[in-house]
Amino acid sequence: MSSSQAIAKGGGAVGSSASATEVTAAASQRRFVGGFLGSFLAVLAAVLAFNVVVDPYALAGTKLVPTAVEPDRSIKLDLLQKLEHGPQILILGDSRGRQAEPSVVQRLTGHTAFNAAVTGGSAPEAYVFVRYTAHRFPRQKRRYIWFVSTGLTSSAVVPQLAQDSRARRYLSSVPRFGLADVKTYLSTDATKASWRVFEKCVLGPCRSHIHYHADGSLTNQSLHYLPEHAQSLHRAVAAAIAGVRRHPETLAEARRQLAEPGRFRYFDRILTFMNRRGEVPVIVINPVYPSVLAAEEQNGFPARRATLATLAQLKTRFRFVLVDCENSRTWGGNPRDWSNASHVNRANMRLELKYIVAHSHGALR
Amino acid sequence: MLFNSYVFLFAFLPAVLAGWWSLSRWKSLRLAFLTGASWFFYAWWDWRYLPVLIGATSVDFLAGRWIAASESEPRRRLLLTASLATNVGILAYFKYAGFFFGSLDGIGSAVGLGAPLPSLHILLPIGISFYTFNSMSYTIDIFRRRVEPTRSVLEYTTFVGLFPHLIAGPIVRFTDLAEQLKRLTPRLTSETAARGAFFLSCGLVKKLLIADQLNPYVARLYTDHTQLGLLSGWAAAVGYSLQLYFDFSGYSDMAVGLACLLGFRFPQNFNSPFKAVNISDFWRRWHMSLSSWFRDYLFIPLGGSQRGAKRTVLNLVVTMFLAGLWHGAAWTFVIWGLVHGLFLGSHAVLRRAGWTPSSAVLNRALTFLLVCAAFVIFRSPSLGVAGDVLSSMLGLHGLDAAARVHALLPGKFVLLMAALLVFVNVAPNTWQIRLGPRVWQGMAAGIAAAIAVMTIAQPHPFIYFQF
Repeated sequence: MSSSQAIAKGGGAVGSSASATEVTAAASQRRFVGGFLGSFLAVLAAVLAFNVVVDPYALAGTKLVPTAVEPDRSIKLDLLQKLEHGPQILILGDSRGRQAEPSVVQRLTGHTAFNAAVTGGSAPEAYVFVRYTAHRFPRQKRRYIWFVSTGLTSSAVVPQLAQDSRARRYLSSVPRFGLADVKTYLSTDATKASWRVFEKCVLGPCRSHIHYHADGSLTNQSLHYLPEHAQSLHRAVAAAIAGVRRHPETLAEARRQLAEPGRFRYFDRILTFMNRRGEVPVIVINPVYPSVLAAEEQNGFPARRATLATLAQLKTRFRFVLVDCENSRTWGGNPRDWSNASHVNRANMRLELKYIVAHSHGALR
Repeated sequence: MLFNSYVFLFAFLPAVLAGWWSLSRWKSLRLAFLTGASWFFYAWWDWRYLPVLIGATSVDFLAGRWIAASESEPRRRLLLTASLATNVGILAYFKYAGFFFGSLDGIGSAVGLGAPLPSLHILLPIGISFYTFNSMSYTIDIFRRRVEPTRSVLEYTTFVGLFPHLIAGPIVRFTDLAEQLKRLTPRLTSETAARGAFFLSCGLVKKLLIADQLNPYVARLYTDHTQLGLLSGWAAAVGYSLQLYFDFSGYSDMAVGLACLLGFRFPQNFNSPFKAVNISDFWRRWHMSLSSWFRDYLFIPLGGSQRGAKRTVLNLVVTMFLAGLWHGAAWTFVIWGLVHGLFLGSHAVLRRAGWTPSSAVLNRALTFLLVCAAFVIFRSPSLGVAGDVLSSMLGLHGLDAAARVHALLPGKFVLLMAALLVFVNVAPNTWQIRLGPRVWQGMAAGIAAAIAVMTIAQPHPFIYFQF
C-alpha cells in the first residue's frame, strides 16, 4: 500500500457521509499537517532566535557575546587609536594585504607603516581607515599601499564595520538586519558558528587565536585560524582552476559587474580625499597563483581586461600609481610560498613588497 | 528559482498556494493565475527563456487542434511533422548547435582543414528538454487518436508550464493531466495536504541532506581522477550513482509533493532503481517518465522487440543513443546512451538464449555494478576523465595507497555510502512508505524538512537542471 493510499485510507472521504471512522481519519490527517507545519516553523524559529541572540557573524548587532568572525576592523581601529605617532605609510586592502609587514616596508622605504588590511576588506574599509587615520593624526601627509584584486572594489558595507561607532560616521549608508541576514541565520553554518561561540565564550574562557602587533601585522605566520588557510596548496589550486573552467566569465559580464551602480562610491571618495590632500596612493593588483592565472588567461581573463580598462579611466580623473603584481613571475615569486590560490605567504609578500617599492615611481619615498 | 531556495519555499510557494486555493470558484482565473505564476517562476532564471516556452506551447496547441479537426491523413501527417519539427528544431538550435559545430570543428582541425568555424554561444533555456517532450507527446497522441485535444488554451498552457514539472520533469503526458485540468480540485483536503507535505519533505531531505552532502566528496574524486586507485575508483562510481539518485528522485518527490499541494497527481518517476534485477528492469524503475516516453514514441514505432533479435538490438541501441543525447550535448552522454543500448541489447539476446543468471542476488549486484560503471561516463567532464576512473576501477592503477585512501575516502563519506547502499537495497521508496497520518509523523516530517532547509545557505542546483 502506498503512502497516498494509506493517507487516503486514513480519511480520503472528505465530503461524503461522515462515518465515525472517516471523521477520525480526517482529524488525524489535519493533525499530521498541523504537526508538520508547527514543527517545521518551530524548529526554524528556534534556530533563528538562537543565532540572532548569539549573533556569530555580527549581523544583528546584539553584542551579547563575541562574534565568531574575527573582529579585525575594530581591532585595527583600536590599534590605530593607541598609536602615539601617525604611520607614514598606511597599508590597505583585504586578506591578501594582511601578510604585508610594516617592518619590512619601513626597511625598504625608511618610513613607519601600519597594516590596516582586513579580511574581506574593500573600499568602505579602506575609506574608514584613511579618514580615521587622517582624523587621528591631522596635518600629516601619508603614503599608501592599497592591495586590490580584479574587480577592484565593492561598496557593500560589512555590518561589523558599521557597528563600530568610530567607523560609522564615515559611512553614508549603514546596513540593517534584513531578509538576507534572516536567510544567513537560518543556516547550519551559522548555527554551527553560534554553537562554537557559545561553547568557547559562554561555557569557556573565550580566548582569541589571532593576535596582532602594534603596527597591525599578524604576530605569527600560522594561518590555521585565518580564512586564507588551506590544508593543501595543491588541492586549493586544483579547486580554483576547476572553478575557472566551470564558470568562464565573458568580457561583457566582467564589464557589467564593474559598471554596477554605486560600486565605485567609496573608491572614488578615497581617491578624491587622498588627492585633495596631495597624496598619491600606490594601488597594487594582487597576485594570482601561476597555474590559476594561466587558466584565466586561456579564457582571455576578461575580469583583468575590464579592471585595467576601468583603472585607465580612473587615471584620467585621479592621481595614483598602479603596480601590477598579478603575475608573480614579474616580482620573482616562488610558487611554493602561497597559502592558497590567491594568498601569498610572508616570504612571497616580502619579495612582492620589494617590487612594489621599486616600481612606485617615488610615491613611497 | 530552485525548489530548494528560501525565495521559493517562503515567498513563491505560499503566495501561489494562497492564490490558487482562494480562486477556486473561478476555473479560468485559476488556470490563468497558475500559468502566470509558472511563467514567472520560469522567467526568474532569465526572462529571455520565456518566449521560447510560449512559442513552443502556442505551436503545439494549434497543431493539436488542427490535427484533430482534419480528416485528411496527409494533412494530419504534415501538421504533426510541423509540430515535431518545431520542437526538435528548438532543441537542435538551443541545445545541440554548439555541440554539432564544435564536433565538426574538432574533426576539421584533426584532418588539417583551414580556419576554425566560429564558436556559437547560444543561451540554453532551462528545462527545454522536458517541456518539448511534454509538448511532443501531446501532438503525437492526438495524431494517434489516443487523446482529444483540449479546447482551452489555459488548460494547455497550464499542462506545459505547470511549475512543479517544468524544469526537470517528471515528463507528464496530457493523458495524465487532462481529466485533472478539466475538473480542478475545488479545495485543499487534509489528505492531499498531508500527502503533499510528506513528499515535499522527503524530497528536501533526499536533496539537501543526502545528495548535497555526497557532492563535495564525489566532486573531489572526479577532480583527482588521475590519482584514483581501485577503491577510490569504485567510490567515485558508486558515490556518484547514489548522489544522482537522491538528487533526481528528491527533485521528483518535491515535484509530486508540490503538484499534490495544488491538487494534481503526477506519475511516479523512480521505483527503487537499485533493486533492479537486470538492465531492462533498471530502466523500468529509473526516470520512468523518460524511459516510457522513449519506449512509446521511439522504440515501439521503430519496431520494438517484435522484429527479431538483430532488429531489437538495433532499436535498443538507437533509442538509448538518442536518450543519451537527450541528456546533454556532449560525447560523454552519447557514449553513456550507447553503452546502455549495448547493455539492453546484450540482455535481450542473453534472455532469449536463456543465459541470464538465475540467482536474483547475483543479477541485482551485476546490474548495480554495470549501472554505476556507466554513470562514470555520465558524470565525467570528458571521455579522458571517464577513462581514468574506469581504468582505476579495473585495477589498472593499482590499489590506493594508505595516505590516498585517507585523503580521498574520509570515514564520514565511507559510512554515508555504506548506509545509503543498505538504504537503497532494503528500504521502501517514497511511494511505498506506509504513512499513518499521526501527529508525531507530521512532526518528524516537519523537523526533517526544517533541518534540510537549514542547509540551503548556498543552494546547489539540481544535477538534472543542466539538461
